[in-house]
Amino acid sequence: PVEGSGDANCVDEILKEMTQSWPPPLTAIHTPCKTEPSKFPFPTKESHPFPS
Amino acid sequence: VQSREFSSTTELADYVVKYKPLVSMDQRQNYKDDFNAEYDEYRLLHARVESITHHFTQLDAQCRKLAPGTKEYQKVQEEVLKEYKKMKQHSPNYHEEKQRCEYLHNKLAHIKRLIADFDQRRAQAWC
Repeated sequence: PVEGSGDANCVDEILKEMTQSWPPPLTAIHTPCKTEPSKFPFPTKESHPFPS
Repeated sequence: VQSREFSSTTELADYVVKYKPLVSMDQRQNYKDDFNAEYDEYRLLHARVESITHHFTQLDAQCRKLAPGTKEYQKVQEEVLKEYKKMKQHSPNYHEEKQRCEYLHNKLAHIKRLIADFDQRRAQAWC
């Protein structure tokens, strides 16, 4: 290997190796959800839509 | 009858063997504790690899903008070599660290996915 031209190849190799895509970091795990959901999907009984 | 051979030769990652789908809240807490126990190390390694990758990606972009043979191009090429040597000096275990980080990434992602699946199943059970 010739010293002069070896450098260019070397740089190419370095760049190829060092620029491999790197995924964004994993985020932390959220705090555990409550044992019961805060909202139930039932419609509320309080509202009476008829006019009084 | 020994027709199935692949199961014994297929190598599973240790965490896939260790962490099975969750069935209880206690287990969820254990999994989460395990996740958190290695999360800091993971983020540290991740940030280190990320900053080095970012640095070389910038140098790479500079190289691509310049015409080979020019003085500026040569200068950036030398910079790449210099930075690489510097990196080797400061972090001689860079490749091991990167591999460790990739392993942790996959492991923690696996645990996180199991917890998310469990949470989803529980949420559906409430409906």
